[in-house]
Amino acid sequence: MATATQLPTTRPRWARSPFYFNSASHLLRIGREKATTLQELLEAIRTCPESSIFQHTFQTLAEHHFIREGFSNDFSQWAFASCNEVGLAERLAAIDVREFTSIAALRERLIHIIDTYLQKNLRAATRVAMEPFYLMASDLVVVPTPYVARNLEEFADGLRKVSIHSIYYHFIDARLRLKLNNNDFSVWLEHDLDMAQTADRLNRIDIYTNTLGGVRRNILNVIETELSRA
Amino acid sequence: MAIHGNKRNYWEQLTKDKIPERKTAVVDKNAKAGEPRQDQQESATIQDKPAKQDAPVPATSSAPPSGERRFRQTDLPAHFIERRKRPRISTEQPPPPAPPCFGDYEPIIGKPELDEIRFLARHLRGKTVKMVNSTAVGGGVAEILNRLIPLMNELEIPTRWDVITGGNDFYEVTKGFHNALHGGEYNLTQQIKDIFMSYNEQNRQRMEFAEDLFVIHDPQPAGLIRAKSPNRGKWIWRCHIDLSNPHPGVWDFLKPMVEQYDATIFSAPAFTRQLNVPQYLFYPSIDPLSEKNKDLPEEYVNKVCDDFGIDRSRPVITQISRFDRLKDPVGVIEAYKLVKKYVDCQLVLAGGGATDDPEGAVVLQEVMEAAGDDPDIIILNLPPWSALEINALQRASTVLVQKSLKEGFGLTVTEGLWKEKPVVAGAVGGIPTQIIHKLTGVLVHSVEGCAYQIRYLLTHPEFAAQLGKNGKEHAKENFLITVNLKRWLLLFQILLGMARPNATL
Repeated sequence: MATATQLPTTRPRWARSPFYFNSASHLLRIGREKATTLQELLEAIRTCPESSIFQHTFQTLAEHHFIREGFSNDFSQWAFASCNEVGLAERLAAIDVREFTSIAALRERLIHIIDTYLQKNLRAATRVAMEPFYLMASDLVVVPTPYVARNLEEFADGLRKVSIHSIYYHFIDARLRLKLNNNDFSVWLEHDLDMAQTADRLNRIDIYTNTLGGVRRNILNVIETELSRA
Repeated sequence: MAIHGNKRNYWEQLTKDKIPERKTAVVDKNAKAGEPRQDQQESATIQDKPAKQDAPVPATSSAPPSGERRFRQTDLPAHFIERRKRPRISTEQPPPPAPPCFGDYEPIIGKPELDEIRFLARHLRGKTVKMVNSTAVGGGVAEILNRLIPLMNELEIPTRWDVITGGNDFYEVTKGFHNALHGGEYNLTQQIKDIFMSYNEQNRQRMEFAEDLFVIHDPQPAGLIRAKSPNRGKWIWRCHIDLSNPHPGVWDFLKPMVEQYDATIFSAPAFTRQLNVPQYLFYPSIDPLSEKNKDLPEEYVNKVCDDFGIDRSRPVITQISRFDRLKDPVGVIEAYKLVKKYVDCQLVLAGGGATDDPEGAVVLQEVMEAAGDDPDIIILNLPPWSALEINALQRASTVLVQKSLKEGFGLTVTEGLWKEKPVVAGAVGGIPTQIIHKLTGVLVHSVEGCAYQIRYLLTHPEFAAQLGKNGKEHAKENFLITVNLKRWLLLFQILLGMARPNATL
């Protein structure tokens, strides 16, 4: 007896709205500010445009996505390598950009850390660094990709195919756009697929002890685990 | 011309890997023109007349005044000694290979990256670009444009390359400007200004300016900005030189022209001046598919080492650069000697410039004297068409050194990073941009520091390998021609108002 075509036992869970993968390209602008001492750096951080703070904290993670070691933003790297102020470098490196949903708040934190340190280490303020710090700014242009996800399988497929800059854009840069302590992937999983726990697991992936390639692998691990349960 | 005997079989094997056949010869520098003979040596690369192996020269002796080097007695196998006496250096300039197509970069940067560049280009399709510089051949700018412009045209952004013309008086002035902008002394007179402006004006009248974007490279054609019209096109000045310490008079003369451009581009933040127009940072780039940087079969690397007498069973420290005091080749030899006390290694100093540059020849002589009778210091004065050999030397090296005292951007460092090698380099010019200390390489400030870091890398291969890995990623992310192309496309879109930074296209 002929039987009807077997339907898959599980059907993919369809998202309420699709996830469109974008990517980000950036162009570096050379700023007017330059610091040769920590005091000058402090003044520059007070007055520079937000795009400069963004460049030296968020964007530098994308530019150096392949490095796990070392200091996590340009200010801490400079304090360490050019000013030999390891204590300050450590404090600056402890800043986790994921805690900030605005550049203004991040700027305030930077100012507070440097100002506090220099008040306790007066000679460090005016000691000339081995290399000047040039403040840069980043012009970020968002580029659509052809990858769209309507379910978890397509999402995993997109994650495997997009460039590392796309991972950066959705996972790190998103915080400033969303003004939330969250990322695009987790927001979509929670709101469009009702997967709050998975979203939370993604959001807890450490971007500082991983390369961006490692972040991608960790995200995929979480998603593939979910897929294997389905 | 003498060709090495086993070349045919070797090249037959290599032909499969598309490496062109190159003639190599050992040539007697005293032979009459056109009469090089086998088993006689070319130019003053390595010692002309080796010391007899049973007649060792005291280790303290330096090279005799004739410039000939003598090797002290050593356990080095005879074939290495022989090859170091008579390195096989290619004597024929090969035809230039065809430039690669855009799609050829996919295995290197990946399809997603390639797609993003294509997407950016699609938005610009039909927009026209004119690039102007002062020379069609020779020099770094022409080399970049030769690669960049075919890629732009392939992406359907019609790009035209014009070269300005001028008399000898103009080129004397622009050469003077070049040196003055690097900080040299200069007597800027009204006559000099008039010569500069009159040739720029002649070129302005000769050229058409109908494109959407104009990119003017370096100071020579900067005066073409007078062709700028308020309702046609955006103008970009791409400065490839270091303006950190310019002659004030020359810069004051050029600055009003530069500030009429819509945007300027520099190679490093340290190379800029205060300007009232936007300044963008475009790092210089290397082409991973060029002869200098493409992947090479191991057999070819071995063959080049064999040609030059390099023993691959022992560590090889290499500095590639022309024989110029600012590259501190003697400092590299001093560092090597400190390393040699602890690690049995070889030093290769390979470069050019000693044949056509009188100062280069003097520096080469100094280098040979500093090398003395150490047979493990291999000095190679290579002709300009040695890109493949330099590529192979870099790949054969255990540690690459660029101990410059002053530097532009330092593209030899970029080449080393791209080849996944640990690089030890002086913290000058654009090198700190490329080498993040102890993450993508090692920065040094002295002979002693250089020696220590080389020793450390030779005795900690895991650390050296990690530096190499990070360095390659750094080069891939920032210093490849594809990244450069992407930057151009982004800048064009921003200037034409097609892209708003921080907004989705």
